[in-house]
Amino acid sequence: MPDTEPGRMATMPRLMLEMRGVAKRFGANEVLRGVSLSVPRGQTVVVIGPSGSGKTTLLRCINMLEDYEAGIVAVDGVPIGYAVDEKSGRRQRMAERAIAAARETIGIVFQSYNLFPHMSVLSNIIAAPIRVKGVSRPQAETRARELLAMVGLSDKEKEYPARLSGGQQQRVAIARALAMEPKIMLFDEVTSALDPELVGEVLAAMRQLARDGMTMVVVTHEMSFARDVADRVVFMDGGVIVEEGPPETMFSTPKTERVRQFLKRHNDRYRI
Amino acid sequence: MPFDPNFIRRLLPALLEGAEITIELSVLTIAICLVWGLLVALANATRGPLAWLAAAYIQIVRNTPLLIQMYLVYFGLGFAGLPLSGFMCGLLALCLQNGGYVAEIYRGGLQSVSARQYESGRALGMRRWTLYRVVVLPQVIARVIPPLANQGISIIKDTSQVAAIAVMDIMKVAQIWVESSANTYDVFLTVGLIYLSLTTIVSFGARFAERRLAFVA
Ligand SMILES: Nc1ncnc2c1ncn2[C@@H]1O[C@H](COP(=O)(O)OP(=O)(O)OP(=O)(O)O)[C@@H](O)[C@H]1O
Ligand SMILES: [Mg+2]
Repeated sequence: MPDTEPGRMATMPRLMLEMRGVAKRFGANEVLRGVSLSVPRGQTVVVIGPSGSGKTTLLRCINMLEDYEAGIVAVDGVPIGYAVDEKSGRRQRMAERAIAAARETIGIVFQSYNLFPHMSVLSNIIAAPIRVKGVSRPQAETRARELLAMVGLSDKEKEYPARLSGGQQQRVAIARALAMEPKIMLFDEVTSALDPELVGEVLAAMRQLARDGMTMVVVTHEMSFARDVADRVVFMDGGVIVEEGPPETMFSTPKTERVRQFLKRHNDRYRI
Repeated sequence: MPFDPNFIRRLLPALLEGAEITIELSVLTIAICLVWGLLVALANATRGPLAWLAAAYIQIVRNTPLLIQMYLVYFGLGFAGLPLSGFMCGLLALCLQNGGYVAEIYRGGLQSVSARQYESGRALGMRRWTLYRVVVLPQVIARVIPPLANQGISIIKDTSQVAAIAVMDIMKVAQIWVESSANTYDVFLTVGLIYLSLTTIVSFGARFAERRLAFVA
């Protein structure tokens, strides 16, 4: 619809991700209390915050791995999960088929290694393009090899996940998500489970991706990554966004006491 | 006199004829249970009345003796005016009970696939059937082959109970020969060896399949 309104397009840069008023509870535990987050096309937003603040839940709500009680999410203007009825203004859950189709546009990489253990690296990457998108096998393989080259694993295509290091598995997971040609990539602490010496190779792949213009939402404790790559840093606590801003100001002159405290504790722990 | 070659030479053709029935029953039961057990396990993995039905079925068939189930099917269908042959009744009872066991094996296999695997598939846009076909079932099958092979062996041995409803399987043939000759030992020894060769085929087949389907994990 917005495409037919050029005037509006000119004044509003097109948002790749738009979340409005997303609220989620687990029983009595209100984990997200009306989170609104917008990410313009091609930008990287880094989400930081204490444990249990709802960062993982936020990412999982974006692609409907977690259902939520209120709010809406749209990727590139297309609603995911819930659509708002034009006339009544009521929020309606989309059909499973539509939700699955929408998920194709969102790549996600988790903290734990989630490759399919019964498939080779190459098969892991081409499975969804072939079975979900109907891409031909030769075409899927060509693209998979390009992606493997990008994450520096061209020599591992025949290997099985169990034979790879954690860092290699995460890079394959990134390639697997990219193979669906998503419009946005979500990363949930993808380096937290890695041995320190393997963190760099994964972050390097993510940096490259950001440089290539991918829109990304990255939950991480890697503050140097946030400083270098983020267009904007978002601080979450208690299920709300407490403060957000460009990394330069967030890290040097945060506006809120909570962010100051968090960064101080974090810096003490990691001595950076 | 045990180990009488002449006696065994006369006995063997009759036993092999019975073995044919045993093999037919075994192959059909195993084939049907592989599919039926999977359907029951998938039903059991849903939420709602179908899962209850599947769970109740599994409990009932696993906790009553096969022989009783066989009699219930045989005489029950007779009373109901649907007299099936002994072979069909035996097959039905064998599938009923072993379907429950096989469903439990699949259930264990399904549970061994972590929620993260399902989520990874869904996050890639896979819908339920694609997810099962591409991600879940291949992992399940690789893990359930050894217990399924055990069940297959158990099925072959279980078929001997159809002798109770007058099916001329190898066991029934053996019983008839035992009653009409003094050479009891040779009959049972030969029958035992025939069962052993049948179950050995299953063991080797399973080991082959296990190697083919194994993945590094
Ligand atoms: N499946 C679940 N069932 C119940 N409660 C949950 C579930 N998942 C998360 N929670 C709760 O929701 C809250 C937010 O969890 P979440 O995982 O989103 O936090 P997080 O910011 O990602 O934390 P961390 O930095 O430790 O990963 C926590 O209190 C957690 O216990
Ligand atoms: Mg988390």
